Amino acid sequence: MSAGAAAVEVVGVTKTYAGLVAVDDVSMRVAPGEVYGILGPNGAGKTTLLRMLFGLIRPDSGEIRVFDRTWADDDVRTLDGVAGFIESPKFYPYLTGRQNLEGLRLLDGTGLPDRVEEVLDIVDLTGREDHKVGGYSYGMRQRLGVAASLLRSPRLLVLDEPANGLDPGGIRDMRALVKRLAAGGLTVLLSSHHMDEVEEICDNVTIMRRGSVAFHGTIADLRTMAPDPGHLLRTGDDAKAVVVGRLRHPDIVVEPSPDGGLVATGSERGLAAYVADLVHAEIPLLAFTPTRTPLEALFFMLTDAEADPPSRPVVAGACR
Amino acid sequence: MSATVDDRPEVHAALAATRGQAGLAAALRWETRKLRAQLRSRALLLGALLAPIAVVVVVSAQSRPPKDTLFGRFATENGFAMALLVLGFASQWLLPLVTAVVAGDIFASEDQHGTWKTVLTRSVSRSRLFWAKVLVALGFGLVALVVLAAATIATSALVVGRQPLTGLSGQVVEPHSALLLVAAAWATMVPPLVAFTCVALLFSVWSRNAAVGIAGPVVLGMVMQLVGGLGGIEAVRPLLLTTPFEAWHGLLASPRFTGPLLEGCTTSLVWSVVSLATAFLVLRHRDITGG
Ligand SMILES: Nc1ncnc2c1ncn2[C@@H]1O[C@H](COP(=O)(O)OP(=O)(O)OP(=O)(O)O)[C@@H](O)[C@H]1O
Ligand SMILES: [Mg+2]
Repeated sequence: MSAGAAAVEVVGVTKTYAGLVAVDDVSMRVAPGEVYGILGPNGAGKTTLLRMLFGLIRPDSGEIRVFDRTWADDDVRTLDGVAGFIESPKFYPYLTGRQNLEGLRLLDGTGLPDRVEEVLDIVDLTGREDHKVGGYSYGMRQRLGVAASLLRSPRLLVLDEPANGLDPGGIRDMRALVKRLAAGGLTVLLSSHHMDEVEEICDNVTIMRRGSVAFHGTIADLRTMAPDPGHLLRTGDDAKAVVVGRLRHPDIVVEPSPDGGLVATGSERGLAAYVADLVHAEIPLLAFTPTRTPLEALFFMLTDAEADPPSRPVVAGACR
Repeated sequence: MSATVDDRPEVHAALAATRGQAGLAAALRWETRKLRAQLRSRALLLGALLAPIAVVVVVSAQSRPPKDTLFGRFATENGFAMALLVLGFASQWLLPLVTAVVAGDIFASEDQHGTWKTVLTRSVSRSRLFWAKVLVALGFGLVALVVLAAATIATSALVVGRQPLTGLSGQVVEPHSALLLVAAAWATMVPPLVAFTCVALLFSVWSRNAAVGIAGPVVLGMVMQLVGGLGGIEAVRPLLLTTPFEAWHGLLASPRFTGPLLEGCTTSLVWSVVSLATAFLVLRHRDITGG
């Protein structure tokens, strides 16, 4: 690996399935040691991109370099130091968790049998390792997937929606584990359709929609671009509340919500003043709750399926 | 998910040293382990051991021997004839089925379980995995054949006896030579069995469906047998994969003739090479999108 090489370098990659462009001229760069998120709604092309990284499918055009290796030149050695899973991890149901891991260790060409016990312990599967995987719950299989990845002691961990299908406790544990691994210097490339997940874990993010890149940048950049937060408002007199907003608070927008009540959008300070005025005008305030976080709102703006995709991605910060 | 990752330098050094590709031997060990863990493969071998015993015992107890079948006339009074009767029966459809149960499933089961992505994201190339599966399927087919042959010959000799055998030209073959000839006749099943295994492997890779992988070669075998039974197809007969199953007849004639045997080897080789090459190309170039 040459000095300064990226952990992952994707250059102009396109993949078409029978006329449908699943990934459209995507480029991105994941630096060693960073936690990189690929965010996008269903069908955005996240999984397709990661499958190409793993060599499971071939791009129609473009190139993916992993630690400066490519499938064309290095075949399976491209995955040296790389581990992870695509969608939900799959195992042989008629083998136990341990037998699955032992077998995968054989296919890694590595010779550290102790490591199996160790990774089982990391994912809290100790005690169930000698049960057949066919009897594992979804969450247990997900954890076995993480164990199977850690077995390779990777430098780059690639996770495709790792929290998918997990209960809130499982999601919390999974995120904590990823953060802990990242803190230890591991490069993580993770796909998700949850803005909060990416915001919590990642340094950099690529937002995809319909196969193309809609945004590249840091989470900090994303925050500065985020629109003002919207709040759902329930009052004793919505008509009067709208009038108060129009007359005295031109900096915020108050409009009826399709689900009933009102939605007020504006800066936090503006909203606070508006609420104070409502109270002052003796309009009963029944509820005041954020509709979605600013980043969520931005995510929907960037990936709204109805709108046409941006002709060029929004690029911010250090990323291309 | 509580403990931390092991970042001891010695662990990293050991892993870095061993990082690389898994060899064919490792892939073979993995495939063998999986096969041994499957109930189906063990049941099949047990069946290959017990079924001939049951068949020999039942047939030998019949008052009227199955006269219409090759060596059927002597089967109840001659153990070698019994072993050849069972051979004729097994080669009709049993051998393609036995080998297809494993070979037809070995690739397709990865699709069924969605595990291609699990194994292909390790350090083993598609080619190595392909050859490991091919070798394991061939190995299983051959082991099943050996078990079937050994169980048949031993049971026939013990239950019916080791009398001199009357050959296809009416010649009398002494027990010692008869035993060698019967064993050789069973051994001639190897080339077509290998070819049927390769066909099953192709069905398995191509269909991605275990049922098709298993049934495909069996149906193909039956169709070939039907075609082989038709008249006026002498030009086609050597191309059929079922013809080599009958090549052993020449060994039991006097004088012996081995022409069909050599022809059968060539036919089997062609079917094997074409099937394997096609299967290899299909697997190598396919997109793994499932799982
Ligand atoms: N094997 C396939 N055959 C045909 N089209 C496919 C195939 N796999 C994916 N696609 C299409 O490619 C597009 C991208 O799919 P992909 O699975 O990469 O999206 P994703 O971002 O991972 O979505 P999700 O969040 O639902 O997992 C989708 O329109 C999908 O229908
Ligand atoms: Mg996906």
